[in-house]
Amino acid sequence: MAGEDEKADADPPGQREDESVEKKFDRRDVLRGLSTLPALGLFGYAWSRERGYQQARRAAASAGNAAAAAGQAELNVALLGVGAQGEVLLDAMLRMPGLRFRAVCDIWKEYNQRRAVNLLRKYKFEVNGYEDHREMLDKEQDLDAVVIATPDFWHAQHTVDCLRAGKHVYCEKEMSNTLEGARSMVLAARETGKLLQIGHQRRSHPRYRHCHEKLLGEARLLGRIVTVNGQWNRAVSPDLGWPERYAIPSDRLRQYGFKSMAQFRNWRWYKGLGGGPIVDLGSHQIDIFNWFLGANPSHVTASGGTDYHDPATHEWYDTVMAIYEYETKEGPARAFYQTQTTNGSQGYFENFMGDQGTLVISESEANNPGLLYRDPNAPGWDEWIRKGYVSAPGLQERKPEDEAVVLDVRESVSPDQHRVPVVLRDPYHQPHLQNFFDSIRGTAKLHCPAEVGYETAVTVLKVNEAIEAKRRLSFRAEEFRV
Amino acid sequence: MALSPTQMATIVVLRVLIGWHFLYEGLSKLTTPGWSASGYLLQSRGPFASLFRGMAADPNVLSTVNQLNMWGLTAIGLGLVLGCFTRLASAAGLFVIVLFYLCTPPFVGYFYSIPTEGSYLVVNKNLVEAAALAVVLVTRSGLVAGLDRIIHGLLRRRARPAEA
Ligand SMILES: NC(=O)c1ccc[n+]([C@@H]2O[C@H](COP(=O)([O-])OP(=O)(O)OC[C@H]3O[C@@H](n4cnc5c(N)ncnc54)[C@H](O)[C@@H]3O)[C@@H](O)[C@H]2O)c1
Repeated sequence: MAGEDEKADADPPGQREDESVEKKFDRRDVLRGLSTLPALGLFGYAWSRERGYQQARRAAASAGNAAAAAGQAELNVALLGVGAQGEVLLDAMLRMPGLRFRAVCDIWKEYNQRRAVNLLRKYKFEVNGYEDHREMLDKEQDLDAVVIATPDFWHAQHTVDCLRAGKHVYCEKEMSNTLEGARSMVLAARETGKLLQIGHQRRSHPRYRHCHEKLLGEARLLGRIVTVNGQWNRAVSPDLGWPERYAIPSDRLRQYGFKSMAQFRNWRWYKGLGGGPIVDLGSHQIDIFNWFLGANPSHVTASGGTDYHDPATHEWYDTVMAIYEYETKEGPARAFYQTQTTNGSQGYFENFMGDQGTLVISESEANNPGLLYRDPNAPGWDEWIRKGYVSAPGLQERKPEDEAVVLDVRESVSPDQHRVPVVLRDPYHQPHLQNFFDSIRGTAKLHCPAEVGYETAVTVLKVNEAIEAKRRLSFRAEEFRV
Repeated sequence: MALSPTQMATIVVLRVLIGWHFLYEGLSKLTTPGWSASGYLLQSRGPFASLFRGMAADPNVLSTVNQLNMWGLTAIGLGLVLGCFTRLASAAGLFVIVLFYLCTPPFVGYFYSIPTEGSYLVVNKNLVEAAALAVVLVTRSGLVAGLDRIIHGLLRRRARPAEA
């Protein structure tokens, strides 16, 4: 078609019109016709240089890891569930040495499974794709580990089956959407003696570990922590949707517990499949409340509802606020947590307030990556600055932008502001995965074993219960143990 | 009015440079895993904003837009560099760039969070590139230096016996 278009009135403009009718097609035409081809060659050269440069940068980034890998036992790994999070985990694992990917299991064969298999083949791994996880476990006998990132309501069955088949398991949070499910996972790990790491990745984040061990533990910079608050605010997220031509046939959807493609994609919104934002987002941070306070809560009060969305599609609350009460070794503490999915401003962070200082921290390198405030009355932190535990204080005093404003003299002196001098240059999930694989090799201990994941599941799932009960609920100490 | 060889040569250079730009825009998107136009579309301001935002909101439309964008830019780039179906390539390029312009027009009082270097008032580089493509479109340089010259020559040769 385009050719005809050119032909329709194909004469070059100007004076050549007449001669071109007569002129024979000759060598000169060929040469002129090809005259801009060298530009393409030049482009190809520049582009290959550019690509080489990018590759070299990536190689340099992983060179450190490769050195560490020398002499490391290679582990055979399978992925179970390669949706959004499975992809994130895979991306992190592809930067880690000593892993051989063998299989990918995902019921969305047409799309997610194919994408992951293709990606791994590009990296020269010979991987097989499966729809049914039991078939994978039957056929892939020499797997060492399975990394699970399926929707929450599948975690228990998947984890238990993999452990029973003799595989170590990394299972994404939330451990399970039910306590019975979570309990069966702890028991299976115990029975089989295989490792089970739950994907609360902040437990392996070097900044969180630094704060827990050095700042709160050794240096006790915050003094006694009495109040805690945290939040995850997320902007309204649209229906995830799917490419129509890759829709899963409805009998397969039903076989795996989904009513429709829309529910399959947005499983988080449905009761029985996910746990709502308190579980989806909150569990990451409430896990840190427990960890940093060194205790499990004694009571919880909560309020939540479907305030914004249509309850027909959003069965779970879109807005949740919860207050936990703790009995820590040093005395009572209270923690407020809020998650809402209608406005994303100020994102996510945890804020620990002690009588000597404050720590605001998050997983993000961009927002709230770790700030400390020393109360003006607290002893100086000079020793810890010299040791490199915290940065030197920054200037806190900020001039109001409008010069005409009058500050009240009773305004309290602002505390010194320090940074937590630890950054993570790898993807957020990489240290936690690394900890899992190191534990399999026997060179580390799990940072979030099944028992810890279970305590967090108990802590978090109770919030939804309290909302329904419309009253303050208490935790019994035995509840946290299996 | 006839174009001198120098005039034509500068237009060929212009065409190849624009083609290079398109080709790289296309290839860099193709080689970025998970690239999507959605962030750009969601930024849209001005009279057509709801249209562009609507494209980003519908996953089926979005995935088509993404494919068209990646492959379209690459194909247009190749066409312009090689002078192959030049008129089609420049018309398509013109169309695409005008769409980009309309998606995020630099009108008074609009602020975008996509980083832009330089300062623009109504006219930005998209509009300039669009105008440059219009020049390429009407001067038909592919027939002077480009594969069109060969294609055209071959077609004419085949057409001749039929005429005789
Ligand atoms: N740690 C984190 O920061 C983090 C972040 C996001 C999600 N997650 C967790 O990761 C898990 C997956 O979330 P997501 O956002 O990737 O969801 P998703 O819907 O994008 O992906 C789930 C994948 O599992 C597949 N799947 C569903 N049922 C299956 C079955 N029975 N067998 C095999 N495959 C099955 C689906 O086809 C899909 O590809 C969830 O548990 C979620 O809580 C963790």
